[in-house]
Amino acid sequence: MAGAATLAVAGCGRAPFEATQLTVAMPTFAEGTFLPWTGGGQRKAFLDAMYDYLCIIDPATGEPGPGLASDWSVTSDGLEWTFRIRPGVQFQRGYGEVASTDAAFSIRQIIRPTARAGPSSPLRRLIRDIATPDPRILVIRLTRPDPELAKGYLANAQQVGIVCARHVAEAGERAASLNPVGSGPYMLDFFRRDSEIRLRIRTDSENIWRPRPAFETLVFRAVPEVSTRVAMMKTGEADIAPISYDDIGDVERTGLAVRSIPQSWSPVIRLGGLVQEGGRFEPKNPWADVRVRQAMNYAIDKNAIIRRIFHGQGRIAASDTPVEAWASLAPYDYDPARAKALLAEAGYPKGFPVTLKAFATTPGAELPVVAQAVALYWRAVGIEVSTELIDWTSLRSAWTSGAARSYVWTHRGFPFTSAQNGLEAGFDARSVFSAFSTPELQAMLDAHANELDPGKRRAKLTEIGVYLRDQAANVFIAHIDEPYAASRKVGEWTITSSNALNFEGIQPASGTAA
Amino acid sequence: MMRIVLSRVGEALVSLLLMSVVVFFLARLTGDPVAVLLGDGATEADKQALISELGLNRSVFEQYFIFLGNVLQGDFGRSIMGDQSPAFQLVLERLPYSLLLASASLVIALGIGIPLGVAAAVNRGRPLDVAARAAALFGQSVPPFWLGLVLIYIFAVQLGWARTSGFGGLANIALPAFTMALFSLAAIVRLVRGAMIEALTSEYVKLARAKGLPERDVIWRHAFRNSAFPVITFMGAFFATMITGAVVIETVFSWPGVGRLALESILRRDFAVIQAVVLMITTLYIVMNLMVDLLYAWLDPRVREAA
Repeated sequence: MAGAATLAVAGCGRAPFEATQLTVAMPTFAEGTFLPWTGGGQRKAFLDAMYDYLCIIDPATGEPGPGLASDWSVTSDGLEWTFRIRPGVQFQRGYGEVASTDAAFSIRQIIRPTARAGPSSPLRRLIRDIATPDPRILVIRLTRPDPELAKGYLANAQQVGIVCARHVAEAGERAASLNPVGSGPYMLDFFRRDSEIRLRIRTDSENIWRPRPAFETLVFRAVPEVSTRVAMMKTGEADIAPISYDDIGDVERTGLAVRSIPQSWSPVIRLGGLVQEGGRFEPKNPWADVRVRQAMNYAIDKNAIIRRIFHGQGRIAASDTPVEAWASLAPYDYDPARAKALLAEAGYPKGFPVTLKAFATTPGAELPVVAQAVALYWRAVGIEVSTELIDWTSLRSAWTSGAARSYVWTHRGFPFTSAQNGLEAGFDARSVFSAFSTPELQAMLDAHANELDPGKRRAKLTEIGVYLRDQAANVFIAHIDEPYAASRKVGEWTITSSNALNFEGIQPASGTAA
Repeated sequence: MMRIVLSRVGEALVSLLLMSVVVFFLARLTGDPVAVLLGDGATEADKQALISELGLNRSVFEQYFIFLGNVLQGDFGRSIMGDQSPAFQLVLERLPYSLLLASASLVIALGIGIPLGVAAAVNRGRPLDVAARAAALFGQSVPPFWLGLVLIYIFAVQLGWARTSGFGGLANIALPAFTMALFSLAAIVRLVRGAMIEALTSEYVKLARAKGLPERDVIWRHAFRNSAFPVITFMGAFFATMITGAVVIETVFSWPGVGRLALESILRRDFAVIQAVVLMITTLYIVMNLMVDLLYAWLDPRVREAA
């Protein structure tokens, strides 16, 4: 009691209201590094405020607009892209004007063999060379056509933030990582590993060319436990935090708002042994037969899963990632009778045994519960399911080594602004993360990748979506929204899956002006 | 005394060598970090290049001897994550936070546990004793994860007396320190109570009372001093555990300590950091045990004579 009384007297419990500061409680800082090529995409929450990208996806249309590149062009064969760098954009800390050499340097770092960024591998294969014939002109030559380069790898939904090349050369990479220099509106002010990141509006705020953020300071706190994040929201220690679906009601009852990133991820069941290349095919699995895979899709009441587990935050889907051209694809209905008939037709009238492995991650803490629900539905049509909990790293290791052939597992699909990038990662037989591939599909993917006419390209993409759905490449469930609790300080906040963590774009609510 | 120290140092070196073997090979039995590091759309060629870059294409025995040789030169290797910081530097960065939390917990555990244990023994069978034993049972059986969240709800959310999480001042450390202290506090209450009950019925305490010494001196100078040995043994080992094993508490309270580093390194298969953490934990255990042995020798002349 004495200790508690001391705390009360000291008055140090409640977080003071800071009108000019926005505090974000995040599950993790991932690698907690500040150079784009030294880690994965989870760091974008804080990196996007410090760096600029060549192109910025328009949240309304999903199409690329000018970023650091004021405009761009591509040759008719789709092999050479020319970007014109926006004049007058200044790096932070007085490092001068952003030039094409900085963009070239940043892209070269992303594709270097030791880079750890998400798109490093496909970009390495895609880029033949980079040239800077003029301080304002950046030319990227490709090994194959990519008509979606500006929308995909080089846009703000990906990881190619433009870094000051001179700063990295002078300071060395390690020092530059702790004292990064970009051209975005915020600068790194303080960092405690796995604990706190504080960004401040750059001191030369007249050089901010993007819309000026409303908050002077952005504080990120690493809070892995979701209950603690919810408690932080209630005490005012945090202004924004991702929460679990089960917490939505509790958060709303306390008067806080819940904002959701639409179609942020997709729970999906991947079926092992379906990549018909590189020793990753297992024809003895019952689900090697398309009728069985279709039965496994028909057996599940996806709407019930969306309603009960995700509290209505999602919509039933026929794909593992939201693609505009696939929006009208009809998903598999909940039809257990048809599932039983298909199993009988395939020679499994009494079902078959299968192991369903599940892991929890962020987002995706609900995946083990989804696995339990799926197991119940499958058991109802005769499939004898045993569920196993596993850690994501072990599963990922088995998957990428081709060892995950005889079982099925829960997984997450993520949205890609460029559908081609998503297809390359998830269905191209050359990717170690491919979960389904046939020679027919590979031919369709290659044809789509090489098609430059927008209309024909869209038609080919639609064909791919129909093929993946009809082949029941995965057990598709839903496209799910990701809920965030927002304090009363948070006003207008435009969030889309292409710009999910747009914290710098948050406007203060009326009455709490920063 | 010097013989005790030399003997313990020799044992420590053997323990460290054995532990290096165990942690090195056990970590590798759980898989490798390659899959964690591969980005979207990586190919088999990318995977093989990464295996080669990380030196995982060498035999595991070759990898061990390279590791051992480097450790003997003070190099624990580099983290595979992010900017590939030196593994030992990462551990040292976190150590002050863990030491602070463990020390605060120790102060709470000893500050409450010893007086309560003594009071329970002195009042054996009375309501105070019953309450102390019930509290000790609760403290040893309540899951720290649950307790931490309940404390956050009461003291941070409802009363506003403390912060929910994160590193900072008294308002930040109070709840994680108390949550961490509760288990050892309960153990101390039980240990002290048991030892004191035995001591209070001993001949030397009867003699002290017969000599007319004040009851406070009898309890604290005579009975308690001889009851302190089990507490010292317990706290020696437990302090090391508190520094390195507070994974759950560090997670609930977002405390940037060694426990969270260890957990994250295991999940990412970051071998160099796992090895650095485990060898540091081992060293801490050894140092704490050595200190306990020396404290015993200092407190008890029989130990010195035996040595």
